[in-house]
Amino acid sequence: MAIECLVLGAGQEVGKSCVVVTINGKRIMFDCGMHMGYDDHRRYPDFSLISKSRDFDHSLDCVIITHFHLDHVGALPYFTEVCGYNGPIYMTYPTKALAPLMLEDFRKVLVDRRGEEEQFTSLHISQCMQKVIAIDLKQTLQVDDDLQIRAYYAGHVLGAAMFYAKVGESAMVYTGDYNMTPDRHLGAAQIDRLELDLLITESTYATTIRDSKYAREREFLKAVHECVAGGGKVLIPTFALGRAQELCILLDDYWERMNLKVPIYFSAGLTIQANMYYKILISWTSQKIKETYATRNAFDFKHVHNFDRSLINAPGPCVLFATPGMISGGFSLEVFKQWAPCEMNLITLPGYCVAGTVGHKLMSGKPTKIVLDKDTQIDVRCQIHQLSFSPHTDSKGIMDLARFLSPKNVILVHGEKPKMVSLKERIQSELRIPCYLPANCDTVHIPSTTYVKAHASNAFIRSCLNPNFRFLKRSKEENSDQVLRNTNSTAPLQVNDERVAEGILIMEKGKKARVVHQDDLLLMLRQKKHDIQFGYCCAAQLDNLEETGNRDGALSHSDKCSCLQLLFKELSTYFSGVNIQDLGEHLQVESFQVSVCLKDNCPYRIIDSPRKEAATIFYCCSWSAADEKLAREIISAIERFNLSDNLPCKNSK
Amino acid sequence: MEHHLLHICLQSLKDNNNPPSLQALASLRSLIINPNTSDSTIYSILETLTHSLQLSTNSLTTHHHILKLLTDLASHRTHLSSQILNSIHSSSLLFTESTQIAAESLTSLASFSNSDQNKIGDQLFMSLCFAATSASARLRLLRNGERLGIGTHMLFTVFLGFTKDPYPYVRKASLDGLLGLCKSCDLFEGISVTEGCYCRAVELLQDNEHSVRSAAIRVVCEWGQMLIAAKEGNDKIAQSNQVFVQICSMVRDMSVEVRVEAFNALGKIKLVSEDILLQTISKKVLAILKEKNSHGQCTAERFEILASSYAGAFMHGLEDEFHEVRKSACNSLRIHTILYAEFARQSLSLLMDMLNDDSMAVRLEALEALHHMATFDCLNVQEIHMHMFLGSLLDSCDLIRSTARKIFKLVKLPDLKLFRLSIHGLLQNLERYSKDEADVFSVLFFMGRSHGNFAAHIVKEVSQEIEPVLEGQLGLDSARVAAFLVLAISAPLSQNQNGQIIPPRLFSYAVTLLGRISCALSEAVDQDTLLAYLSQCSRSSTLGAEVEVESLLPVVDDVVLTCTKKDVNNPVEAPMLQTGNETSKVQPVTSCELEYLATSIVECQADELDEVMKSVNLILARVRDAWLLVQSRCTNVALRALRDCKRELALLTSTSLESSGAMAFTLQYLQVMKLFAKIWEHAVWKIRSNETGGLEYLFGKLDMRLRELRYRYIGFSTEEELYVLELIAVACMLRLSKVEISFSPTTMKKLSAIISHIEILNDKGSIEPSNILMDAKKTMNEIESSKAGISCSLFLITNLDDFFTLKQFSLCSRVRHINAELNVPGNDSENPLSFCLWTTCGYTSGYYFIQCQ
Repeated sequence: MAIECLVLGAGQEVGKSCVVVTINGKRIMFDCGMHMGYDDHRRYPDFSLISKSRDFDHSLDCVIITHFHLDHVGALPYFTEVCGYNGPIYMTYPTKALAPLMLEDFRKVLVDRRGEEEQFTSLHISQCMQKVIAIDLKQTLQVDDDLQIRAYYAGHVLGAAMFYAKVGESAMVYTGDYNMTPDRHLGAAQIDRLELDLLITESTYATTIRDSKYAREREFLKAVHECVAGGGKVLIPTFALGRAQELCILLDDYWERMNLKVPIYFSAGLTIQANMYYKILISWTSQKIKETYATRNAFDFKHVHNFDRSLINAPGPCVLFATPGMISGGFSLEVFKQWAPCEMNLITLPGYCVAGTVGHKLMSGKPTKIVLDKDTQIDVRCQIHQLSFSPHTDSKGIMDLARFLSPKNVILVHGEKPKMVSLKERIQSELRIPCYLPANCDTVHIPSTTYVKAHASNAFIRSCLNPNFRFLKRSKEENSDQVLRNTNSTAPLQVNDERVAEGILIMEKGKKARVVHQDDLLLMLRQKKHDIQFGYCCAAQLDNLEETGNRDGALSHSDKCSCLQLLFKELSTYFSGVNIQDLGEHLQVESFQVSVCLKDNCPYRIIDSPRKEAATIFYCCSWSAADEKLAREIISAIERFNLSDNLPCKNSK
Repeated sequence: MEHHLLHICLQSLKDNNNPPSLQALASLRSLIINPNTSDSTIYSILETLTHSLQLSTNSLTTHHHILKLLTDLASHRTHLSSQILNSIHSSSLLFTESTQIAAESLTSLASFSNSDQNKIGDQLFMSLCFAATSASARLRLLRNGERLGIGTHMLFTVFLGFTKDPYPYVRKASLDGLLGLCKSCDLFEGISVTEGCYCRAVELLQDNEHSVRSAAIRVVCEWGQMLIAAKEGNDKIAQSNQVFVQICSMVRDMSVEVRVEAFNALGKIKLVSEDILLQTISKKVLAILKEKNSHGQCTAERFEILASSYAGAFMHGLEDEFHEVRKSACNSLRIHTILYAEFARQSLSLLMDMLNDDSMAVRLEALEALHHMATFDCLNVQEIHMHMFLGSLLDSCDLIRSTARKIFKLVKLPDLKLFRLSIHGLLQNLERYSKDEADVFSVLFFMGRSHGNFAAHIVKEVSQEIEPVLEGQLGLDSARVAAFLVLAISAPLSQNQNGQIIPPRLFSYAVTLLGRISCALSEAVDQDTLLAYLSQCSRSSTLGAEVEVESLLPVVDDVVLTCTKKDVNNPVEAPMLQTGNETSKVQPVTSCELEYLATSIVECQADELDEVMKSVNLILARVRDAWLLVQSRCTNVALRALRDCKRELALLTSTSLESSGAMAFTLQYLQVMKLFAKIWEHAVWKIRSNETGGLEYLFGKLDMRLRELRYRYIGFSTEEELYVLELIAVACMLRLSKVEISFSPTTMKKLSAIISHIEILNDKGSIEPSNILMDAKKTMNEIESSKAGISCSLFLITNLDDFFTLKQFSLCSRVRHINAELNVPGNDSENPLSFCLWTTCGYTSGYYFIQCQ
């Protein structure tokens, strides 16, 4: 079985996210977005690649939408109502609530302002949303008998989620857009440690490492505070959702702490509607807001009032949030015209503005005049402050997530190609995980895990239940190759629990696989257990032996003992750290045994003929395979010994 | 009965064929837990139970019951516990299937007796551990290993082995066990054991269970420190770095618990090299460090991978979503800041940013860290920090402001601009929160003393503002002027004040504010010394004797210096300074007029008490007048008069304990009278419709107030006490008169108790009992004799009206108010204390108990 990943959008680009994944025969579409940069057929993903016959109901098992941004949900009404997909669609509750707002807003802009032909109608949107099934965080939903999905918190925007999908034993995570650092109103992405075959992650900031945004917050607050303290007015053009709330919480908090009385205004419209949703969806916000909720709703801003047009020219300082974000028109432009000519005022701009908007002109250089059209020119004397908060994770966040999840494969989408290439290399070299970055319409094949079910014998289960650990001493050379471990030398003392090692997997033809305990195996095969022992009879010099008068080579029992004790003494001094036991007839070190050999023709002796002339004594050694290394060391030591000097003189007795 | 029960039970137990009935076991248990059961019975029970424990024929459940009973027995008769333990010990080898129960009873037995007695052998412990197929039995054994008196070596082996257990809770318990063992680490000869344990814990940092991971962090930290201690020289630092980096790799864990643990551990490791620390506050891999490494131990690629594993560790902690993590990160960052100048400089910016945190606890922790830096003289504030730093002086939380001011006391500012900003911030603080005055003055004094030159500059700039506005009238009320004066008088005490002369008249202005200033500076200098110093300086120019100032300087300076030194040691609370010989040296210089001024200030304070008492008694007199209004059915007017009294009382300010006691008493008394007036209207005049509920409520409130009046004050004279008792008696009678509420025997009892108490007091002081009491007593007797509930209506309301007249009451003794203030730090609406699930109470609270006596 394999996982097949077809990228329909956001492959090596940002926009129209859409990935179709086939896991063990189940087909899931993650996100269904539109590209905001194109007006032609490239706006939507090429759905025909899913099914030539355009029979989407049978070729797809479900559609999953991660969050309400148009590049993730924009093509959904088109796909369901125009292309005719009728299967299940999953998204979180906030996304289900906010997506129609965004879609409707976009449709209006498209039709009313630009006068384009509409791609889908309001009716389409509402019909499409009726097919949506909402899912909660960490809720596991059984789509059908095999397919299981689960949503995890992703930060980014209200209701954004990462999705975990599992079919049989194969599992994957599609992150959508996410943020690994919390902001003032949303938390950081949160996921469990899962066994994954594949992780598909966004990579908007594949090479950027962002510093703490506290510094930017501090500058922003200082600029705003100084402006209002000097009697100026502050204009903050923002989008309705997300940043407006974040900045507002920041300011409201600061106002509260500093006991400031200057009014903060929200221009009416979408923002107020959005605030309402935030107030209801508290469980999707950051920890801090959830905690405060016990006493008050953080989105019931204490210092924020609704703005009335008559207040534009009212005297005295104030702070105003107005849409749209890039001062491309609408209310924020209207206020801008009034406030820009005064030095005391301040305008804070978001980090990114589309070329052609007033925001973009203000950001590029510091213009003193802005020409709106032939008749209108605006003198710009006010201060301008730039503020870039991004709700996307940076490259460190991507690496941290990949490290934490340790999937078997990673696919990067939603980014720019050159940067993605460098991130890919980092993932492959630092984390040693294969990484892919397919372009649009490419397919990636990934082997998936398959599991075989096996019966376990009672003895094996019993042995698994009982603790059975041993301590091993490792020599220093055998270092593991993992990166972090490299910093410390591997421990000389290690714990080993052999329970699983005691099991033996038996696969017979035509029978189910079985795991049995090693003792079972012998019974099953009706065989006896064989232990492999190594044997070697080594010689040691023993000069004084001649004088004992036992030239025949028949050593007496006492001599045997004394020879053994001699060896024991030598070995103890030579291997001071090793536990050597004297068991009378033989010495024992781990499984290594040594005894005095009295046979003339010992089968383990390699020397052709026993050298009778020299006083040689033979030691018979045996050991099991595990202690091979130790045995070799001891034997070579014994062969080097010259025991003669130390031998007590037997004649004197 | 006892013997009968015993007999039945023992019969049941001895019956080998049938398991003992539940009833028999229950009666046995009742015998065991009954403290009156005779010893002989207990012994025979013990004998039988021990005997049946040895029987191999018993079923598992029977074993269970018997063990339970034995455990109960041991818990109720502790002297038998060792004997019981022995019997279980000897038998437990018999049953391997019920290891869980055996483990359970052994461990619970161990808790009843002393650790010397309950040693179960290492061998038994080991065999139990290995036989324990259920995880919970292993868990119990591991948790109680120490208590069971197992040898350290054996424990170590078992703990280390069980870190391989498949059950996460067992792994956690064994890690906890290892953590406990590191205290007795001297027992392990050879570093390899320590290393082995440390490495095992490092492996478990990657565990799937978060509780295991956090336990592993603790072990890595503690055993890592043992490793560090075992090394010498460069190895020590290398090892220290290694442990630090290892823990750093855990700060990106998804579990909050693990992250908090990781940051706690980071703070425990001292002596980390600067390169690594610098890398932990930058998410990017630093180029300088790469260069440094170029001739180092590992390849460039490996180094980068390694560095990226701990890059920005502290940054991540400081911007964490959970305030627990941020707080812990601030705390451990504090430990490391004082080691290296460059690191201190860079982490200062981070800490300053934390002053903008939304959680009060985190802001406080960040300020504590800054204070720590200031104490060790490595706080180099720059201009970009000032906005946030000064912002904390205006924080709405008192604790934050006072901690911020503590830092300003110690801070060294590089230039006049920052000094001016700081003074401005302090003045704003003073302006907005006038209650901080004393502390702000003290900060100004310290700041002026350490930046004499700057202070003199500032004073010069604002000298116009200080000067008398109208014909010699100082703007005494203005805290701002007072603040500048404090700054002015502190400047000459500075070492680096070269040439800038403070106009002497400022010192004489300061003398007029002596009380206010000396109160604020009480931690630095006492009033006499201050006065001497001020008068000396103010005369210096007229006499032209600068030398004298110089001679005085060391004296005061000495005082201040010793104080600051103490302040450093105990930054939270500097003790009041006792001046001894130094002051006597200064005294002769003081001019007569100034001496008079000083004494008059002190006298004034002493007189203040009398003043308060006088006005309190005036108010009390007006209460009596108000009562006359009540009796003439003008309740509303009376209530208004009482409210006026209350308002007037609030205007009085108290400085001494006695006067505040009297004032508190009067306030309470006024409240009682208000309640009386309201009840009178209901009960006596029946003007209001009979809302029984409302009346009941008023009675309840009155009872409460009277009880407080009686018990929360001490130091009453007999008259005063009699008076309070009489009020209580009247309240009881009023309550009794309202039959429709309830005729309560409790009230009757209370009334008779009060009356008898009053009689005793009367006898002692030979005072005539008042009419109303005589009447009340008479009625009480009547009720007693009639023994009928109906007759309670004998308490006729007319009686009350006739007999009860409010006496002229005045306070003369020193009444003291007993109150305690419970201050739970870190508990506010933003971060309310969380409640533990099982304890029904909050945790992490410190109590400050102040008894006003």
